[in-house]
Amino acid sequence: MNAVAIPVAVHRPLAAEEAARADFYALLSRLFQAAPDGSLLHALAGAEPLPAGGDARLAKAWGALIAASSAMDEDAALDEYDALFGGVGKSPVSLYGGFYAGAMAIDHPRVRIRADLAGLGLTPHVDEPEDFFPGLFDAMRVLIAGGAGRGPATLQEQRRFFQSHLAPAWPGLVKAADGAAKANYYRQVAALAAAFLAIETESFELD
Amino acid sequence: MKKAKTTNRRDFLLAAGLGGVGAAAAVVTATTQKQAVPGAAPTVDKASGYRMTEHIEKYYKTTEV
Repeated sequence: MNAVAIPVAVHRPLAAEEAARADFYALLSRLFQAAPDGSLLHALAGAEPLPAGGDARLAKAWGALIAASSAMDEDAALDEYDALFGGVGKSPVSLYGGFYAGAMAIDHPRVRIRADLAGLGLTPHVDEPEDFFPGLFDAMRVLIAGGAGRGPATLQEQRRFFQSHLAPAWPGLVKAADGAAKANYYRQVAALAAAFLAIETESFELD
Repeated sequence: MKKAKTTNRRDFLLAAGLGGVGAAAAVVTATTQKQAVPGAAPTVDKASGYRMTEHIEKYYKTTEV
């Protein structure tokens, strides 16, 4: 995930649909990184519904997240996030792609320790395990929109990153978050992630 | 979402409605941007409920090589 600086940055404005993709990745990264705080809940509660005529599943999930955000408060969100994703060792919902992708290396003690420390917020972001979902989503955001000293990546690069690292893992995250006994708000987050990432999956099959 | 093999990627994304969500998503981006760490896996910050207690500190020490 090392950013490669592009010497001459050509800042062409992103097409609307590409900017929207980057925004969805930014939102997913943020929501899986930490519980939404009051200002994010407020912003989501006041967000516009998606226009009719588009992907029905995405529109429905977005509407449900808006509704849930207006009903949720900061403290309840924090409790739920901790119940789902927190704790030392095994949490009900893993935020690490390798857990769902069946990577052998996930059992390596060093990886386990690193994951546990990351769960405690003790790992500097440069040492965060690379399969940490918020990092994967944020990487996609940067590949689409540019940032961190680089411009947008090519579609081929985006496709390769997505298909290598997110495609094998995201269905497991969505399923785990949706099925967790203590999930409430994050069930809506999972539904939005599923709807958006299904669109991404299909779009990468096209040129 | 039905398969759209005959269309191109941009038309597919526009048909999914992504061309028209700018206003909706932008309000969220404005809120999240200041917390995002560009180009890197973000750290789990204080907002995730982490507190450095004695117990956690002790646990952390056991992991030092």
